[in-house]
Amino acid sequence: MDKQLMISLGREFGSGGHVIAEKLADNYGIALYDKNILRELAAEKDVGEKNLRRYDERPKNPLLSRTVRGFTNSPEENIARMQFDFIRERADAGESFVIVGRCAESVLRGRSHLITIFVMGDMDQKILRTMETENLSEEEAKKRVEQVSRQRKAYHNHYCKEKWGDARNYDLTINSSRLGIEGTTCVLMDYIDARRAADNWE
Amino acid sequence: MIASVLAGIIFILMFVLIILDKFERHLVTLVCGAATLVLVFGVAMHSGRAVMETLNLKSIFTLGFWYETSAAEEEAAGVNWATILFLAGMMVMVEGMARAGFFRWLCMTIAKAVHYKVMSIFLTFMVMSFVLAMFIDSITVILFLAAVTVELAQLLKFDPVPMILSEIFCANLGGSATMSGDPPNIIIGTSLKYTFTDFITNTGLMAVLSLVVIVIYFYFCFRKELAHADGIDSAEAARLSPKDAIKSRRDFIVSTVIFLAAVVMLITHAQTGLSVAFIGAFIALVTLIAAGRDAVEILKRVDYKTLLFFIGLFLVVGGLEETGLLEMFASVIGRISGGNMVVMVAIIIWGSAICSAFVDNIPFAATMIPVIRTLAAATGADLSILAWTLAMGTDIGGSATPIGASANVVGTSIAAREGHPISWKRYLKSAVPATVIVVLISMVCIYLRYL
Repeated sequence: MDKQLMISLGREFGSGGHVIAEKLADNYGIALYDKNILRELAAEKDVGEKNLRRYDERPKNPLLSRTVRGFTNSPEENIARMQFDFIRERADAGESFVIVGRCAESVLRGRSHLITIFVMGDMDQKILRTMETENLSEEEAKKRVEQVSRQRKAYHNHYCKEKWGDARNYDLTINSSRLGIEGTTCVLMDYIDARRAADNWE
Repeated sequence: MIASVLAGIIFILMFVLIILDKFERHLVTLVCGAATLVLVFGVAMHSGRAVMETLNLKSIFTLGFWYETSAAEEEAAGVNWATILFLAGMMVMVEGMARAGFFRWLCMTIAKAVHYKVMSIFLTFMVMSFVLAMFIDSITVILFLAAVTVELAQLLKFDPVPMILSEIFCANLGGSATMSGDPPNIIIGTSLKYTFTDFITNTGLMAVLSLVVIVIYFYFCFRKELAHADGIDSAEAARLSPKDAIKSRRDFIVSTVIFLAAVVMLITHAQTGLSVAFIGAFIALVTLIAAGRDAVEILKRVDYKTLLFFIGLFLVVGGLEETGLLEMFASVIGRISGGNMVVMVAIIIWGSAICSAFVDNIPFAATMIPVIRTLAAATGADLSILAWTLAMGTDIGGSATPIGASANVVGTSIAAREGHPISWKRYLKSAVPATVIVVLISMVCIYLRYL
């Protein structure tokens, strides 16, 4: 466990990707970064977290945004860039962590101790899971799954050259509906262990 | 006819691409400018003359470009090289000042002078923003002012957003006061041959009057939000020394002298006959010579993209001018107003203010200059009145939204990067009434003074 390990985990809404990320972080005893990055940033800058969270993982509105000399008025883009800087700083510091979403596979691309994963799911399973976790009706859950996934896709594809959820963009793309959360986590752990045991983990 | 349609399509395409912000705006204007030269002038018009006139390169080699002997100089058309040279010169000068720590020193000196009292900082920073923006581009003014405001906000425990919003507004207002303050004014001044004095005695007076009202407006707008700020103890105050901002004493003195020289040259250029192109080139040269080995570093930091943006923009607008599209637009305004100056002023000031609130005010101003020139010729209206109306409309209208002017984008971005994202709603809440107030003041001033 002395070598750095960075796991970036992209996920479809309702696929259980976040729970899987928590389990991986727990198993390897490393930090989990998700929306809590904003808590750290808010503490660092001595500001309220709530105002930052409104813009977390949201695409910018191109009609309401303008860029001048690298500065943009878009709160969404500014918050996103702050998070990207945070991820890079942690990686540069040699820290091990699991990072959920936030274009991390692209932000950290090219680093040797990085494993990139994308978790997807069948629509019916995602709806079921969302109904349970968010206490919604089937119709509401479907709408939510579609809306958040659309949002994440737009967010990701604005900042990254590679497309969100495209298998070519990740080391491993996995459907959590096949083996369930536990089974999927086990497969991912096997893969991560195999990667770390390989000779080129330097 | 085909040429007009092509020029119109290229122009609209350019505006749409600028608004969509998908590509860098200098690339957009350069590609559209090249398309104007090839498709409009080449393919549709077969006119080498139009290409040469729009490129306007020969103007640089005339005496009048550097030294204006009389007011009888021909009005510029096509690429306005005087604007580009002046902007480049000011960029070099500002880089020199920034490297020396001038802006930070000034902000910290003023904060110290008012004993770090939040309300006093709020009021003085608004005035400082106005005054600096009269001579320096508003992006640079806000870049430093907003950064220091955030720093002071952390120290004194206040929300920096109200202060940044009022600084942005005052920077745009200050820019409207002089010929060198805001790019639309530089373009208007160099295209229509107005002097620094012409601006300061016309738009300048309106801007100063507006500043008084706006400072009071922002005070009542934000006084509750700023009232809860902490003070600073004497030990902390003693620790903060404005002198720490100065990176090199020699560079600081040199850059301050160059800045003051630029101000004097601008104020007196109607008397000396030195054109703004000359002033820009001279100031840049002196800054680079004084910088010595650091000159290359300063040159590297100049914002070439903005200069290229201007060149492309002038080419596209030149296409509209050469094909007569802008004359058609001018005749529409002339018909609607029926030659009535009161209506014409109202259309231009509100039309430019509303358009500038949503699209970059620089291309808008560049497009409108030939329009008001034609309008004045066709209706017999006083061109200078239309020019001041256009300047106030475009300069102030840009303050209304977060994307209306460059300073707004930079200011809101700095606030967001420091953990204070500013939504459109929050921005509009204070900026729209302020914009309406200033446009109204300007309109009334124009009516009372000129009509």
